[in-house]
Amino acid sequence: MTDALLHVDNITVRFGGIVALDKVSLDVGRGSIQAVIGPNGAGKSTMLNVITGLYAVDGGAVSFEGERIDGRAPHTIGRLGIARTFQNTELFGEMSAIENVMVGLDRHHPYNLAIGMSHGPGYRRSEIAARREAGDLLALVGVADDAAVAAAALPFGKQRRLELARALATRPKLLLLDEPAAGLRAAEIESLNLILLNLRAEQGLTILLIDHVMALVMAISDRISVLNFGRKIAEGNPDTVRKSPEVIRAYLGEKGAHALGA
Amino acid sequence: MIPRLAIYVAGIAGFFIAPHYLAEYHLFQICLIAATALVVLGLVAVTGLAGQISLAQSAFVGLGGYGSAILATSWGVPLWASIPLTAFAVAFAGFVLGQLTLRISGHYLALATMAFTAIVQLAFIHSDPVTGGAAGMPVPPFRIFGLTLTTGRHLYYVILPATALLFLLVQNVMQSRFGRALTAIRQSETAAEAMGLNVLRYKAMAFAGSGFLGAVGGGLLASLSTYLDPAQFGITQSVYFLAVAVVGGMSSPFGAIIGSAMFILIPDLLQSFQSYLGLVFALLLLGFIVLRPNGLASVRLSRYLNLLSPRPAGGRR
Amino acid sequence: MLAQVLVSSVTAGAVYALIALGFVLIHKGTGVVHFGYGDQVMFGAYLVLIGQVVLGLPFWPAVVSALMLSALLGAVIYGGFMWPLRNASLLARIIASLALGTVLREFVRAYMGPNAWPFPFLLSQTAVSVADVLVVPANLAIVGVSLGVLGLLFLLFEKTIYGKAIMAACDNQVGASIVGVRVSTVFLAIWILASVLATLAGILVAPLLTLSPDMGLIGIKGFTAAILGGFNSLPGAVLGGITLGVLEAIAGTYISSALKDMISYSILIVVILVRPQGLLGGLTIRKV
Repeated sequence: MTDALLHVDNITVRFGGIVALDKVSLDVGRGSIQAVIGPNGAGKSTMLNVITGLYAVDGGAVSFEGERIDGRAPHTIGRLGIARTFQNTELFGEMSAIENVMVGLDRHHPYNLAIGMSHGPGYRRSEIAARREAGDLLALVGVADDAAVAAAALPFGKQRRLELARALATRPKLLLLDEPAAGLRAAEIESLNLILLNLRAEQGLTILLIDHVMALVMAISDRISVLNFGRKIAEGNPDTVRKSPEVIRAYLGEKGAHALGA
Repeated sequence: MIPRLAIYVAGIAGFFIAPHYLAEYHLFQICLIAATALVVLGLVAVTGLAGQISLAQSAFVGLGGYGSAILATSWGVPLWASIPLTAFAVAFAGFVLGQLTLRISGHYLALATMAFTAIVQLAFIHSDPVTGGAAGMPVPPFRIFGLTLTTGRHLYYVILPATALLFLLVQNVMQSRFGRALTAIRQSETAAEAMGLNVLRYKAMAFAGSGFLGAVGGGLLASLSTYLDPAQFGITQSVYFLAVAVVGGMSSPFGAIIGSAMFILIPDLLQSFQSYLGLVFALLLLGFIVLRPNGLASVRLSRYLNLLSPRPAGGRR
Repeated sequence: MLAQVLVSSVTAGAVYALIALGFVLIHKGTGVVHFGYGDQVMFGAYLVLIGQVVLGLPFWPAVVSALMLSALLGAVIYGGFMWPLRNASLLARIIASLALGTVLREFVRAYMGPNAWPFPFLLSQTAVSVADVLVVPANLAIVGVSLGVLGLLFLLFEKTIYGKAIMAACDNQVGASIVGVRVSTVFLAIWILASVLATLAGILVAPLLTLSPDMGLIGIKGFTAAILGGFNSLPGAVLGGITLGVLEAIAGTYISSALKDMISYSILIVVILVRPQGLLGGLTIRKV
C-alpha cells in the first residue's frame, strides 16, 4: 500500500447537501495505467479535482509519494509532479500551440525577473532550450506542424493532443487525464492509446484516467475502478470489471457491450 | 534585426533633434504624453496582460505624486530619488491590494479597486497637515546634478529617457516567461494553476507593477503640473486612464503611447469646446468598447509594432 | 441620542436601499452589473432640472417628462449598448457600463455646469417631534417610497406571471425562450423599469445631497448596500441599505464624522472579502 504512487484514502466530498464522494479509496501503482469509470455524476471528475487540489475533502486523505497532499494549493501539487488535462479544454486560446506548452516548461528553464526585464545573460539560452523542448513535446503528440497556430484555431482532435503535450510539459510523475477520448474518432483513439502506452513504456509515467470510451479504457488500463453515486462498486483488471454484474447493471449497458464486441 | 536597429537609431536621433525644432508648448505636451503613457502602461500590464480589472490606477498616481512631493518638501529628498523610492513603496501597496484577487475577480474586483481609490482620495483630502487638504499642495522643482528643471524643454531630458527605459523593461518582461505566465493566467487561471504557476503571486505582482508605473508617472506628472490637487485623483480619473488604455489598445505596450497621444492632443483640436472635453473622452471610450469589444487593440497594428521588439534566435512566427 | 441617530440614519439607509433596488433589479433580471447606475440616478434628477430651467416647465410636469425620458434612456441603453455586448467579455461589459455613466456625468457637467444646483423637497422639510425624536416629513417620504417600491417589485416578481417570466428568462435564457418567453423583451422591460426607478430615486435624493454632476458617486453606497443584502435579493437590497445607513450613522457619531465615507468604503471592501454573498444571498459553485 505504501509503495503506491498515489494513495487516495477514504475520501468524502460534500457540496451542500449532496455527497459527491463517499469514503472512496484508490491506489495507483508506480508505472501503471489505471482508469476510473462510472456513469455521469458518479464523482469521477470530483475525485480528480480533489487530487489536484481544486476541492477540499470533508473526510479522508490523499497522499502522493508518501506525503499528504490534500488541502494543499493546486500550484504546489502541480509542482510536486502531478499534471492533468481538463474535461472542457482549458487551453490558452490566444497563445500559439508552442507557447501553451512553454508555459509548463518555463519552470525547468528558469531565470529571474531581473534577467526577464533586461534579457541579460542566460535569457537567450533558457528561451531556446525551452522552445526546443516544447517542440519535442509537440512532435510527440503529432502537433509539430501547428506550433505557431493559435490554440483556439486548432481542430478539436489537435486541441486534445495539445492539452496532453501541455500536461507533459511540467515533467510529471503522475498524469491525470479527464475524458481524453471524448469526441475523438476511432483512429484518433488508436493513436492516443499508442502515445499513452509509449509514455508509460519509455518514461515510466504513471497514468490515471477517467473516461466513458471503452475503446480507450479497456485497451490500455492495467486496473479499472468503477464509481457509482460517489461510491466505488468494483475494481480489478479489465476482464474482471467487464464481467462484474454490478458494473454491467450500473453502467456498461448497450454502448459498452457494443464497443467490447467490436 | 536590421529594421529594429534602424528604428532605435531613428528614435534616438529624433529625441536629440526634436528640441531644436519644437516650441516649449509642444515639448511640454510630449512630456505629458510620456508621463501619461507610463501610467497607462501600468494599467495595460495589470488589465490588458494579466486580465485583472483595476480602477486603482489614479490612486497609485496620486500616491506617487504626493509621496515624492512630500519626501522632497519635508525630508529634502530630491525628486530624482523620491520618485523611484515612492514608486517602490507604492508597488508594495499594489502587491498588498493584489492579494484581494485571491478571493475576488471581475465585478467585485472593479468595485473593490474603486473603493480603494475613493478611500485614498479621501485620505488626501483629510490629511491637511501633510497634504494640504482639499486645497492641495505645490510640488517643489525638479533638481538634478545641480540643475533646476522647470520647463517642458528641461524636463524632456529626464522624462523621455525614463519613459523609454521603463517601456523597454516592460516590453522585455512581456516577451519573457513572465509575460507568458501572465497571458496564460488571463486566459485560464485553472489551467495555469494546475501547471504549477502560483496564480495569486503573479496577479499580485501585476498589481505591484501597475502601482510602480502609476507612481512613477504620477511623480513625473506632478513635476510637470507643479501642483497637486486631490480632485485629480478620483474614480473619474481611473476611468479616464482606462479609456486611454482601451482606445490605444490593451494588447501591446505601445497602445499606451498611442492612446495617451490621442487623449492629450485632442483638446487642442477642441479649442473652443474645452468644457466638452470630458464628454468627448467618455464618448470615445463608449464608442470603442461597443464597436470593438473583443479587439481591445488592433491586432495587425500590434504585430507591426512587434518589429520593434527583440526576438529570441529561434524565431517565433 | 442613539435613538435620534438611528432615526436620522434610516433616511440615508432608505436612499441607499432605493438605489440598491435598482442595481439588484438589473443584475437579477439581466445579469449585468451596471456601474453607471449611480450616474443615472443623478441624470434623472438633472432631467427634471433641465425641464424646469431650460424648458420653463413647472415642477410636476417636469417630473413626469423626466420619468418618461428616462424610460426612453433605459431603452436606448439596452438596445444600443447592453444587447450588442451581451456576448462580449466581462471586461468589455464592465467598461461599457462605466463609460455610460461617465457620458451622462460629463454631459451634465458640460451642459449645466460643474456647480451644484438646489433641488426642491417633495414634502415639508421642517422637523416634527415624535416621542422626543425629531422626524422630518421629507425624509419619511423617502423611506415610504423605498418600501413602496420594494412592495411593488415583490408583487411583480412573486405574484404575477410577468414577474415569473422575468425570473425564468434571467435564470435560463435558452429554456425560457423555448417556453415562449422572449428574452430580449424581458430585458428591455427591466432596463426601462430600472431607469425610471433611478429617476425616482434621483428626485428624492437630490434635495438631500444637492444636485451636482458628481452626485452619482452615491452609486458606490448603493452597491455596498446591494452586496450587504446579497446581490440577487430584492428584500436584501432594502435590508442592506438600512444596515449601511445605520452603520454609517453610528460610525459618524462615535468615531468621526469626517471619515464617515471612508468607513463606508472600507465596509464595502470588507464585505466583498469576507462575505461576498451578503447577509441574505447564497454561494454559487463553478464546475470545472
